[in-house]
Amino acid sequence: MFPYDEASWSVVDGAMFMGWGGALPGFTTFIAAVICVAVLIIGQRSETAKAKAFDK
Amino acid sequence: MEEQLVELVAKVAELEAASAGASVTNTMFAETFYYLTIPLMIIIHAGFLAYEMGASRLKNVLSSGVKNILAFAFMIPTFYFFGWWVYWGFPTGLPGAPGPAGISGVEYANAIAWGWGDSAQYMGPNIADQASGVFFGAFAMFAATTASIMSGAVIERIQTVGFIILAVVLGSFAWVVAAAWGWHADGWMVTQWGVHDFGAAGLVHAVAGFFALGVLINLGPRIGKFNADGTANHIPGHNMPLTVVGLMLIIVGFWGFLMACVIVPGEAWSWFGDKPSTIYGTPITLSALSFNILMAIAGGIIGAWLFTRDPFWMMSGALAGIISTASGLDIYFPALAFIIAFSAGIILKPCADWLENRGIDDAVGAVTVHGTIGLYGVIMLGVWGSGYPALQGAAGEVPTVSLFGQIGAAVVFFLLGFVPGYVVSYILKMCGMLRIREGAEIAGMDLVKVPAAGYPEWGGEAPVTPAHPAE
Repeated sequence: MFPYDEASWSVVDGAMFMGWGGALPGFTTFIAAVICVAVLIIGQRSETAKAKAFDK
Repeated sequence: MEEQLVELVAKVAELEAASAGASVTNTMFAETFYYLTIPLMIIIHAGFLAYEMGASRLKNVLSSGVKNILAFAFMIPTFYFFGWWVYWGFPTGLPGAPGPAGISGVEYANAIAWGWGDSAQYMGPNIADQASGVFFGAFAMFAATTASIMSGAVIERIQTVGFIILAVVLGSFAWVVAAAWGWHADGWMVTQWGVHDFGAAGLVHAVAGFFALGVLINLGPRIGKFNADGTANHIPGHNMPLTVVGLMLIIVGFWGFLMACVIVPGEAWSWFGDKPSTIYGTPITLSALSFNILMAIAGGIIGAWLFTRDPFWMMSGALAGIISTASGLDIYFPALAFIIAFSAGIILKPCADWLENRGIDDAVGAVTVHGTIGLYGVIMLGVWGSGYPALQGAAGEVPTVSLFGQIGAAVVFFLLGFVPGYVVSYILKMCGMLRIREGAEIAGMDLVKVPAAGYPEWGGEAPVTPAHPAE
């Protein structure tokens, strides 16, 4: 997973996060966005259901 | 001769070593400078949290807090996903062409602001980049501030998810477009109109304030706010002291907000090697900010006290004082800042009353404090600062501040706030996602939204805050 050829910090001169140079950053960004949307959908459904309980 | 050469070489090496050390020190200073603005700006959010919870009735106190906290939480990832990209992509307008400063345009934004591909190196830990993260953090906090401004106006009757969607549209898009156009060296309003809005009176406060107005029109007033004949009732919050302390916390956080508007010297991305500047490359010092912010706070409080004697409006006056002078905090004379802030403090309450008399239920006066006073501040700079160079550059080659340009900017900021606020809230209303159901609003939103009680020892015996006819 170390994004440089040698497993030594002395060769690191730029990005140092996990997945740099591969698909991981894009994949995790996508998953994080999906989580935000999914939470809103779930939150909307549950709040609407609870609010309906207070209808006269 | 040989000895002298050896001495000279040793001296040069010594100077080079000292220079490298100074460079590292400056880079650490610059990174720390912006890093510290972030917790200071989180204090703004803490202030808004206290402010709007205090302004809520007992039955809604926690739901108002939850809404505010969630806005903060959603603002950060959405600003990471696309808000930062919008800021760098569109300073010159559509379709996102590069500007003369070479730090704008869709191509540039694609290279630095996406969380994937090669640009991800600037959106995560990078030993060679000590600027992107702290700049992103400061801008994300500006975004959170806009959401908080809208949040207070809509308390006690908005649905949580509908509100979050509105907050994302405002904080990660609408104000970002305003910032790109009017708060960037390549911004078309800057380069073509000479717009100057150092402390974001228009592009943060006015945009957020008028976004809130667009939402309020579709959201409607709280039940009991207006009588059948159209007269308004005052709905007091459950905790005025909490509200006033919240307002004071916002004032504290403003020091970080305005500090973050300064570009420090000596870095590759700085305007100058030896002096700080505004985002436009024009001169600024922290001393200038200190003089003018303090005088503006004082002027706003005194102006508001004169006719209201009300601590809520006095602290709102302090906010209005800063906002009314924010566009020109870099160049106002302190006494002039005081006078402008004083006038803002005086007009604050009448402006809020005017809005209320037209059927708008703005629970905390956000439209007036941030929207109206924000535009007032943008225009005031046109009145007093005309002729000042709006950008760094040679005389005759750079635009200058003008009343026309500032009025034009005020119109653009109004539209950038109001139109998306109205349109998106209208769509949410059509989808049934804007307003809480009537039964739930009457019962209290804490019962619907929050599995906890704000004041559990009071239980069902908690007093019901009444609505009083406005005095």
